[in-house]
Amino acid sequence: MNLLAHGVGSRTDLPIPLGLALYGAGAAILISFAALLLLWRSPKLGGPGSGRPLPPAVQRFVESAATRRALQGMALVLLGVVVAAAVAGPPETRRNLAPWALYITFWVGLVPASLLLGPVWRAVNPLRLLHAGLSRLVRSAPGGGRLPALGLWPAAASLLVFLWFELVYPGRAEPATVAAFLMAYGVVHTGLALWFGPGWFAQGDGFEVYSTLIARLSPWGRRDDGRIVVRNPLANATATPETPGLAAVVVVILGSTAFDGLTRTVWWQTGPGAANDSFSGTAGLVLSIALVGGLYLLGTRLSGRLARQPLGVQPRRYAATVVPIALGYTVAHYFSLLLLDGQTTWILASNPFGIPGVDLFGTYGNVVDLTAVSPDTIAYVQVGGVIAGHVAGVTLAHERALLSERHARASDQLPLVIVMVLFTVGGLGLLFGF
Amino acid sequence: MSRRVLAAALLPLSLVLAGCAGTEVLDAAGSSSAASSTSGGATEGSTAATTPAEPAGTALTVEVAGGQLAGDTGRVPVPLGDPVTVTITSDTADEVHLHGYDVTADLPAGTPVELSFEATIPGVFELELHDARTVLLTLQVS
Repeated sequence: MNLLAHGVGSRTDLPIPLGLALYGAGAAILISFAALLLLWRSPKLGGPGSGRPLPPAVQRFVESAATRRALQGMALVLLGVVVAAAVAGPPETRRNLAPWALYITFWVGLVPASLLLGPVWRAVNPLRLLHAGLSRLVRSAPGGGRLPALGLWPAAASLLVFLWFELVYPGRAEPATVAAFLMAYGVVHTGLALWFGPGWFAQGDGFEVYSTLIARLSPWGRRDDGRIVVRNPLANATATPETPGLAAVVVVILGSTAFDGLTRTVWWQTGPGAANDSFSGTAGLVLSIALVGGLYLLGTRLSGRLARQPLGVQPRRYAATVVPIALGYTVAHYFSLLLLDGQTTWILASNPFGIPGVDLFGTYGNVVDLTAVSPDTIAYVQVGGVIAGHVAGVTLAHERALLSERHARASDQLPLVIVMVLFTVGGLGLLFGF
Repeated sequence: MSRRVLAAALLPLSLVLAGCAGTEVLDAAGSSSAASSTSGGATEGSTAATTPAEPAGTALTVEVAGGQLAGDTGRVPVPLGDPVTVTITSDTADEVHLHGYDVTADLPAGTPVELSFEATIPGVFELELHDARTVLLTLQVS
């Protein structure tokens, strides 16, 4: 289990065929320039005030404290089961529920869940329930006044810590690591929420911010008058507020996924990562994120300079437009993991503590079918996901540029579009495996 | 009008997806020729005489001595459906485990052990020493 970077797994994908990689790269470049020349010339996606509202009764039900507390209570019970299984279940990774539940079913599954249902983890987050219980004992949140200034930077740090455990730490697949991580995560974030107030979760809990960010590409949004609405996912993404630290969150997600792809290449496994220790992994993760961040800053600032706009706000202005590209990377790298190795969670959940004779759902005897999705399907989904993310990203960046200046010249967007092409071609290169 | 413009921008994508179907044939041909050369190498000397109906199979060997690996290490391509035999010799007792296929075997010190299986699952899989956590080789089945 050493070379498989992401938390757990028994297999990795085959490299995509060269032809597919080249077609994908060509399409990315072609689409980008077509977008610059052909897309609309004035903003048209609809802003924070767009969308068709849901019936008030549906909104009342979704937002009611009773619904949320019930969901959070169920999540807390599941969290308890996973931590207990990690501590008291079978010690071997392949027979213990916890690593599979955390790294695959929860972390990877959060993406399709948020894409289909909206910001689910905000509603389900069990730490919010813990905090609500404990905050009755603590009188006030002493740090609450300082929270708005922090923006989303705490979430970027929180995600980076999780991703280091998932992708770098050599004992990442051990049930004991999972138990320690989950307990520490719960204690730290509940404690910080007591200090900063319940607003902490939306700004500092990496899982919640990740889910909320992915949900920006779902059809579910909140209009500026507070109504929950159905709207075009692209309009939803355009309405993302320009919060400080948003760019950092996006860069951490994109850079870490790129690092995960890098560690699967023969080049990494026989070259810089051959030692396969914490040092080479940490250096690789940090450098991948730094490279993605550097390119992103360069692209947004150059575009801002061409358009003669203040440079400081450029990175956060365009951060939401990189979310589809990050999502494309995520689909490409983890789609097969969720569908194939993800089956393990449902098998092990039938007997979380490995007690002989226990089979709660009658699935414990099942065997993971690693041929359930063909290599051709996986390759098409990988390239299709990366290209679709690129198209959405370029389209969103175009709309953002028009929103910031009514008569923006298409050529002003060129630096950012070139950086997006680099991300996409680089992503395809990682899937091809060099 | 703008809808038509969007469609024009998305047109290259559909062209690409249609184009991919064309490369699939090329790639399948490419990999099968690579596969036949691999299996030909494994059964040198008898290739001309045997009928092509019988798959030749892939034979791999790995030796572990003093923590160092020798033989077929690194990324090893194997054609899908081929019978594979890996012969492992180690100077310390351990257990070998092929991930994904979930084939395991006890490995006594100094005695060669044969791991045989049919390569029926496509993908990339690690063959690992269970206790030492050393990856002996990575099987690329396609």
